[in-house]
Amino acid sequence: MELGRLTPIIFTLASRNLFHDRIRLVGTLVGIVFSVVLFTVQLGLFLGFERMITTMIDHASADLWIAPADTKGFEATALLEGRERFRALAVPGVADVTPVVIGFTFWRKPNGKSQTPVFLIGTTPGGLQPWNLIEGNLSDLSTPQAVAVDRSYFDRLGVAEIGDYGEIGDKKARVAAVTKGIRSFTTTPYVFMPLDRARAYLGLPPASATYFLVRIAPGASVNEVRQRLQATLPNLEVITSDEFRRRSRSYWLFGTGAGAALFGSALLGIAVGTVIVAQTLYSSTKDHLSEFATLRAMGSSRRYLYLTILWQALLTAIIGFAIAAAASLGLARLSAESALPILMTPGLIVGLFVLTVAMSIVSAISAIVVVTRVDPVTVLAR
Amino acid sequence: MTGLVIEATNVLKYLGSGAGRVAAVRGISLSLTGGQLVLLMGPSGSGKTTLLSMLGCMLTPTSGTVRILGQATAGLLPERLADLRRRHVGFIFQNYHLFPTLTAAENVRLALEMSGEHPWRAHAKAAKALETVGLAHKVRGFPRELSSGEQQRVAIARAIVANPAVVLADEPTAALDSANGHAIMTLLAKIAKDPSRAVLIVTHDPRVLPFADRVVNIEDGRLVDKSPQAKPE
Repeated sequence: MELGRLTPIIFTLASRNLFHDRIRLVGTLVGIVFSVVLFTVQLGLFLGFERMITTMIDHASADLWIAPADTKGFEATALLEGRERFRALAVPGVADVTPVVIGFTFWRKPNGKSQTPVFLIGTTPGGLQPWNLIEGNLSDLSTPQAVAVDRSYFDRLGVAEIGDYGEIGDKKARVAAVTKGIRSFTTTPYVFMPLDRARAYLGLPPASATYFLVRIAPGASVNEVRQRLQATLPNLEVITSDEFRRRSRSYWLFGTGAGAALFGSALLGIAVGTVIVAQTLYSSTKDHLSEFATLRAMGSSRRYLYLTILWQALLTAIIGFAIAAAASLGLARLSAESALPILMTPGLIVGLFVLTVAMSIVSAISAIVVVTRVDPVTVLAR
Repeated sequence: MTGLVIEATNVLKYLGSGAGRVAAVRGISLSLTGGQLVLLMGPSGSGKTTLLSMLGCMLTPTSGTVRILGQATAGLLPERLADLRRRHVGFIFQNYHLFPTLTAAENVRLALEMSGEHPWRAHAKAAKALETVGLAHKVRGFPRELSSGEQQRVAIARAIVANPAVVLADEPTAALDSANGHAIMTLLAKIAKDPSRAVLIVTHDPRVLPFADRVVNIEDGRLVDKSPQAKPE
């Protein structure tokens, strides 16, 4: 049996009308693809940015964070004195409290002539240690002057392999371990090292810390321990990892305007796409107005006319989305090793499909308005 | 069994508004019964198309009544009028108005699927209707691949496929040569033999007169008695 006999004729009519004028179809698809790719890239950058903002929080083994008051994000560099750790350890339900030191400083390249800013992270085992190690191991960091850096920052740091040296401040630093994919959204390279070495490089007092990572005892309630810690340390903040993520995202994405810029570009893409599809459907409908009048004269309901247009819009959306999704995935792959990768998640792809369909359906409104006014009597006059 | 299919009683229709308002149809009464082929003839601007539009439920009269199978059209909303057209009226247009991107069979299927017929059943019925009009071999032909006469046959198949109570044809032979015009009229006369169906043809073409069971003449929006065949309403 022929497939065409089972396909409702409304679909056949809509698709043939769509493919009948190929130049117009190509124009429409270019518009949709441009719009969807622009939107995808902006949203993908947004998601990538969002993930990078919280990557340190995501990889820290902490149930709660003890942070200086008014900490806006992970990169804040106010200091805790160190005595807080012992007070926290005394709180019932607290199993462990691990200090973490962070701070911006400069890395002088091996040639000694140029330097680049770096972000130091120092901690003890079980705190915030490097992950995705592709060369060396964590125990190598305990050797003198040892640090871990990401391979993507080799050029920036002027190093090429394990064993290469640079200087932090006036102290030597040796690459002893290499990670892959630990990149900073600020584009400043992360440099991991043991806690005391970080304090020394940053010139901090011996017991100081930027954060204390709290792990609670098995069976203890996070909320209850948090309340107790907050009562014990009233001048500091005690926050969960989730809360810290939200706070960091909010600060960097919206407090700095970076997120708004990405969203703005994404919305612009949608607006452009909607206008292009609307223009195409409108002109296509105008060109086929006598056919719609004939349908109406034959007794077609308005709903049937609308369905014809909507199916055309849907078909345009499906084809446009398929091309745009492939192009976006290609771009995402190309950007994977860049400073700010485009993140394509399954949720984003599904969301984009829904958005493309919605965009095309909204675009169909102008065409629907045209056929709503079509007068069947005009068929007799021709 | 023949019966009354359409009945127009004292129908008046104004078109336009303000200073441009004209009475296109002025108090016409006309009835169409099944099994009859009726010709509606008259000069341009005489009101033929307006009357056809009212009989075909595209327009409603300003005053008077049009009933199709007993259902009055006055006051009905456009969607309800469309519903009446879909269920009871088959149209044949002067320029065929086939869908150029659809095959002959698909053009005919469209009339059925609009009414909710399943595509597979619609295809079977469309093929049968095309066979009825002598186009069984052209079901896959697109309009551009068909001659004028064949296109008009497809239009006839589309008009009759849903088995309407009335077939209204607007100048069906105007764009055809004599041979094709004769063939089309023969076909329409055959269709009109069905006692449950009335066929009304609007035409200028005197060559079709021999096919008529009845001729109705219209001038200046009124029916007139002009020919020996005509029976005043």
